[in-house]
Amino acid sequence: MDKYQAAFDAIIEKDDRVEPRDWMPDDYRNNLIRQISQHAHSEVIGMQPEGNWLLRAPSLRSKQVLLAKIQDEGGHGLYLYSVAETLGVSREEMIDQLHEGKAKYSSIFNYPALNWADIGAIGWLVDGAAIVNQVSLQRTSYGPYSRGMIRICKEESFHQRQGYEIMLHMAKGTPEQKEMAQDALNRFWFPSLMMFGPHDADSAHSSKAMQWKIKRESNDTLRQKFIDKTVPQAEFLGLTVPDPNCKWNEETGHYDHSPFDWDEFWAVVNGNGPCNKERLDHHKKAHNDNAWVREAAVAYAKKTESTLV
Amino acid sequence: MRITIDNDAAKFVVRLADTEMILGQRLCEMCSNGPFLEEDIALSNVALDLIGRAEQLYKIVSEIENKGLSADDYAYRRNEREYFCLKLVEQPNTDFAWTITRSYLHDVYANEVFKQLLKSDIPNLAGLSEKVLIEIRYNLTHARDWMLRLGIGTEESNSRVQGAVDQMFRYVPEIFHWDVVDNKYLSDTAAIEKSWKSEVSALLKEANIKEPELMDVVMRDYREGFHSEFLGHILTEMQFLPRAYPDAKW
Ligand SMILES: [Fe+2]
Ligand SMILES: [Fe+2]
Repeated sequence: MDKYQAAFDAIIEKDDRVEPRDWMPDDYRNNLIRQISQHAHSEVIGMQPEGNWLLRAPSLRSKQVLLAKIQDEGGHGLYLYSVAETLGVSREEMIDQLHEGKAKYSSIFNYPALNWADIGAIGWLVDGAAIVNQVSLQRTSYGPYSRGMIRICKEESFHQRQGYEIMLHMAKGTPEQKEMAQDALNRFWFPSLMMFGPHDADSAHSSKAMQWKIKRESNDTLRQKFIDKTVPQAEFLGLTVPDPNCKWNEETGHYDHSPFDWDEFWAVVNGNGPCNKERLDHHKKAHNDNAWVREAAVAYAKKTESTLV
Repeated sequence: MRITIDNDAAKFVVRLADTEMILGQRLCEMCSNGPFLEEDIALSNVALDLIGRAEQLYKIVSEIENKGLSADDYAYRRNEREYFCLKLVEQPNTDFAWTITRSYLHDVYANEVFKQLLKSDIPNLAGLSEKVLIEIRYNLTHARDWMLRLGIGTEESNSRVQGAVDQMFRYVPEIFHWDVVDNKYLSDTAAIEKSWKSEVSALLKEANIKEPELMDVVMRDYREGFHSEFLGHILTEMQFLPRAYPDAKW
């Protein structure tokens, strides 16, 4: 084994952080680029379903809270693009890969936001699931990613609380509001649980990523943590988790759940979810329609720089 | 329920509130539609300032009127003819040049207005103006920088921003048709017009944008609740939930 590989292995072994200047195996680098760019794209594409209710937010306060939340998500995207850039890939390349369908983003954002309670459900369940995953990633082996997660997690827990607050208003509100809240939970429950990815036995990227300590806990472990944390919250709201098998199991000390619909999961991952095409088309359109703006900014910078000299 | 505004001071403040609210709502449309991520976030930031400002102004209206109506009632339960925003801010985000031009022309106006309101004797307005002016300074710098980039950048950006300015200038004259109410609460309306014109002229010149003539277009005044066709659509979308579920609290 060469000395570079040995030094890298020692960092991982000792639970230290790999930094951008350190040598790292190509596979490790590529695995990180795939995961971090996917994470960045998720933050950015996630702005769309929430943006869908921004214009219709029902109070001045809720509009400001939502606007600030979406802004945070954009900020997370920026931050994560920068983390990926430390691995030698540019933001332009990542956006091209997204547009070409080579880079993915979290499938959850391919589900539509159909009523105002969905904004609550997204904050509560989607940000909630993201937090469980990201708390675990605070110990990821790549230094910039780990530090990014520490920063991002603080904001995510705000998002989750704000989402839960909307659910609480709706669940304790008029019968119509409660109906919206239940409807949102019905639609977002299983997709949120599937956000953690395939079962450990079927997860293509997991084992390598665990060895490298990019990933610190398995999909199923994280998913179970999330279920155990969330079911009592649903009970507190007086809402019903849409799974008759979701019951406390004394023996395992966890909540049980029904088998997931992995056909649906893979259909959405592979482009055939309810909004896949719309999300990507929206991103492409905003990017392409505004190419002239970016060109103008570059041209202006060149012109004014030359007059400064 | 028809919400009227009876007190002169409230009439004056609601004009500002509605203008900031509708511009904020227009900028919300830009969320996930910006030319790049940093700018997307910047526009959301401006929208957040505007809506926060509108909320504070509606609170002042509600205190003056003292009818048991909240800031939200004023924003969400008035119809087009009961709204008093400038037509300028109702104009759509046809392209990024429209978005920026609309903000720029508004920000110069708002900056001048809130400067005079630093000495307002309407309760809470002077204090609010201090805070607002800090925000507007950032908003205005942001819009101004883009006017220059677009005006000077490329042939295409210049022609797009020129088109936006030509269009938006149609909605400028009504700003300066001051009435008794304006003159009661602003110390020097003529000075606002003068400063607005000299700032805008200078910027347009610097940005290689031809300054259109300010011609009076025949349109009824926003102070009487007359609007472009856009406002009805903006309010329909914005007010949908509180209107559809009048008993619900959000
Ligand atoms: Fe986020
Ligand atoms: Fe979040």
